Amino acid sequence: MESEVDGILVAAHELKAPLAVLRQLALSFDEMDTTNETIRSEMIQVSERAIKQVNDLAKIRRLEDGLFKMEPVAIREVCDAVSRELSLLFRFNNRDLFIKYSNRSRLVAANRELLYSVIYNFLLNAMHYSSEETRAELIVRESGGKIKVLVRDFGPALPLEVWKEMKRGWLKKPTSIAMRPGSSGLGLYIASKFSRYMNAEVGAIRHRDGTSFYVNLPISKQMSLF
Amino acid sequence: MIFIIDDDQIMAECIKRASKKDAKIFSNAIEAMTEISNGTIPSLIFLDILLDGPDGFTFLNELVSYDDTKKIPIVIVSSLDFKDKNLADYGVVGVLNKDDMVPEEIKKYAEEYDR
Repeated sequence: MESEVDGILVAAHELKAPLAVLRQLALSFDEMDTTNETIRSEMIQVSERAIKQVNDLAKIRRLEDGLFKMEPVAIREVCDAVSRELSLLFRFNNRDLFIKYSNRSRLVAANRELLYSVIYNFLLNAMHYSSEETRAELIVRESGGKIKVLVRDFGPALPLEVWKEMKRGWLKKPTSIAMRPGSSGLGLYIASKFSRYMNAEVGAIRHRDGTSFYVNLPISKQMSLF
Repeated sequence: MIFIIDDDQIMAECIKRASKKDAKIFSNAIEAMTEISNGTIPSLIFLDILLDGPDGFTFLNELVSYDDTKKIPIVIVSSLDFKDKNLADYGVVGVLNKDDMVPEEIKKYAEEYDR
């Protein structure tokens, strides 16, 4: 019960933070007329991320109903779509995103919607934790008969207790890595839940100069059309 | 020169806009501390508490440990509730809650301490 309350507290805090930012942005309209377009664009970005996070949380409840069908999914198409969606945000935050596909495009057995969210949350987390001089990396490769999607950041190392939980394969609750919008505990918790539903393995690798989060997806037995 | 330490870039920009002053943004405490160590003593710091790496309190402890930094006025800007806490010993001259602060409050502190 206590752990559930902790999780709710972290989730509430992370969802409250973008609302506080939106409020400040709305108040900024009076401050500087010339930057209204910038402020408008910032408001859209913040609200879209918050909506996505709330939608993902709502999906967690729907997982129990088994509403997400597993299907062959073109991994490269999903990665391209997520990186396209986040490219503006990366540019806005002065971060680079490096993408590398080291295998021919394969179909994986997954649910596209959930897989999209997993990669989205990993990338958002990496963007937040990468400093301006570094980049986040999205790497897709075949490994041990599975497709590994790995997102690497060059920020501070992952706290040991979170890494241990990720090593076990999933997070029990939203974890307060640091309570911020669009990154950290809530996004990783969502990614962890969705991966578990798809029978995919999630994990994290601690580096001296950052962290890699990955998901291993089973290759679809259906013939790839790509 | 005002320092703003907040890992939320957009929130930091909002504070900078509202202050209407020359302000430098840092996304973590280490970068800000390095700048101070290099000789730039800010007239005022707007400080978030939940940060990547060392948090706001670690930063405050660092500042009060040195004669030339312990008198830098600090305004805590956080969504945590510090209203009833007495943080004057850390050089904290004000606390703004992100949930209900308004630009005028930011501007007021900026005008008072960055002349």
